[in-house]
Amino acid sequence: MSLRQIRRKIRAWGRRQLYSFFSSLGTLLSHRLGTLMTILVLGIAMVLPLGLYVSVKNLRAIDLEREEWGTITVFLQLGAGEEKVKTFAGRIGQERNADVVTVSPEQGMEEFSAVSGFGQAIDMFEENPLPWVLQVTPRQVENEKFEETVADLGAWLEGQDGVDLVQVDYKWLKRLAGLLELGDAFVTVLTVMFSLAVVVVIANTIRLDVASRSDEISVLNMVGAGNSFIRQPFLYSGFWYGLLGAFLALLLLNLSMFYLQRPLTQLLDAYGNTFEVMGLGGRGSLLVLLAGGVLGFLGAWLSVRRYLRQFRLEDPPRRS
Amino acid sequence: MVTFEHVSKRYSGNVNALQDVSFHLDPGEMVFLTGHSGAGKSTLLRLILMLERATRGQIVVDKRNLGKTPSRLAPRIRQRIGMIFQDHKLLSDKTVFDNVSLPLMIAGMRYPDIRKRVRAALDKVGLLSKEKSWPLMLSGGEQQRVGVARAIVGMPPLLLADEPTGNLDPELSEDLFVLFRQLNAQGVTVLVASHDLALIRAMGQRVLVLSHGRLVDDIPACDVGRLRP
Ligand SMILES: Nc1ncnc2c1ncn2[C@@H]1O[C@H](COP(=O)(O)OP(=O)(O)OP(=O)(O)O)[C@@H](O)[C@H]1O
Ligand SMILES: [Mg+2]
Repeated sequence: MSLRQIRRKIRAWGRRQLYSFFSSLGTLLSHRLGTLMTILVLGIAMVLPLGLYVSVKNLRAIDLEREEWGTITVFLQLGAGEEKVKTFAGRIGQERNADVVTVSPEQGMEEFSAVSGFGQAIDMFEENPLPWVLQVTPRQVENEKFEETVADLGAWLEGQDGVDLVQVDYKWLKRLAGLLELGDAFVTVLTVMFSLAVVVVIANTIRLDVASRSDEISVLNMVGAGNSFIRQPFLYSGFWYGLLGAFLALLLLNLSMFYLQRPLTQLLDAYGNTFEVMGLGGRGSLLVLLAGGVLGFLGAWLSVRRYLRQFRLEDPPRRS
Repeated sequence: MVTFEHVSKRYSGNVNALQDVSFHLDPGEMVFLTGHSGAGKSTLLRLILMLERATRGQIVVDKRNLGKTPSRLAPRIRQRIGMIFQDHKLLSDKTVFDNVSLPLMIAGMRYPDIRKRVRAALDKVGLLSKEKSWPLMLSGGEQQRVGVARAIVGMPPLLLADEPTGNLDPELSEDLFVLFRQLNAQGVTVLVASHDLALIRAMGQRVLVLSHGRLVDDIPACDVGRLRP
């Protein structure tokens, strides 16, 4: 084959693709209601794993602000002098590389009466019943070693003179981490299941489409259309279904995020967190669109491949 | 162009549609095929198009032995044959123009060329004014002629027609046969299956006669007067 012939073949191929491309768009537009319903089903199927994924991602982001969770509360023995407490606090800061906030019994009392509303009841005590309290937060710790560090520091603090009680809240951390891991696993399972659902829905839609146009296909076959020419418009249709479904899913996701943004920020403000809800981002969205298109293509391919077999004549036996 | 050697075709259910048929068409020949209903005319044409495979015997089309041609090459064979079907086989959800342009789309031709060729073909069958119509809006005869336009638009070297005058009045039938003769004069090999004995006789070409799947007569052009109902 000469270069010119090859070039001509490639051009002919390109024109056939163009033809299939427009023919598939035409079919989708001519069955508007059916197309719309399919896309709706696909969009909803895709938004579920996406929604969960975004939720877990956001929870992880809160998780990064975990100093809040990792603070150790140390109750000193009653009657400790201020001088001694300050020295102890300084020593913790230096030796254990931690931030220490000291809360005197008076401050504690004030806070307590302000928060609990038991101000008057507490006034009945003649002496302040509260001990000195230290709030110890480890500094500059990598995320993975956080629990270990907090646990270590807690144990060390318990062993010190004058310490009455050490409260480490890292059980919460463990629970949160566990929950996030579970969330991740859920995202994976849902993604696999719903991807399968998307493929099946599109395969079935295309199957019906192919069956309703079987006369047309047999005519194409008779006037010399090759398998790829017959198959192509359906593959494009599948691609469109997947792409539009993914687009709808992104739309639904962003709408619900917009709707949830305010109550979420308010809730997190109450915990003293400033927090911006994160979406999928440009690259993530692009990836979702691409994945939708590919799944649609795959579904259509599976469907059409089976159907076209009926036009195949039995082949002559191979000469050995 | 077309050679049958001892070809038999048996459909499932023990129907022997063709039995031991042998003949040869030279390039540039024009031949009619006749016989009673169920004689096997459509079957013979379908075998040439590779829509069926022969049960026995050998078929050579365009120097290619169909019995040894894998089915994935069937489209390539069909692209070099123009076929007019007994029941038109038009796509009802495409306009006349799009129907006729199909073979050229399949060939991947440039759109401006497609336009020119399709309009020329529609002009030949007298339907240029209907290019934007839908097949179901046309009469049976008009649909038949759209099928003719689709068969000739690709300028194939071999033209097959299965009962192309079934829905045409005598005048249009004659026009169509004249068109076939014009194409034949330009070098196209033409094989037409038809019941219309009067018209066949008038055309004065070679005639193959099928009866119950057997080729019972092969009448040369000079002797068509012999053809009796
Ligand atoms: N797909 C098929 N399966 C089984 N039998 C078939 C099939 N197609 C045709 N036949 C049988 O083969 C025989 C020849 O059929 P064919 O269609 O070739 O006849 P024909 O000469 O074209 O008839 P007509 O003039 O009515 O179109 C008939 O007896 C028919 O019943
Ligand atoms: Mg027939």
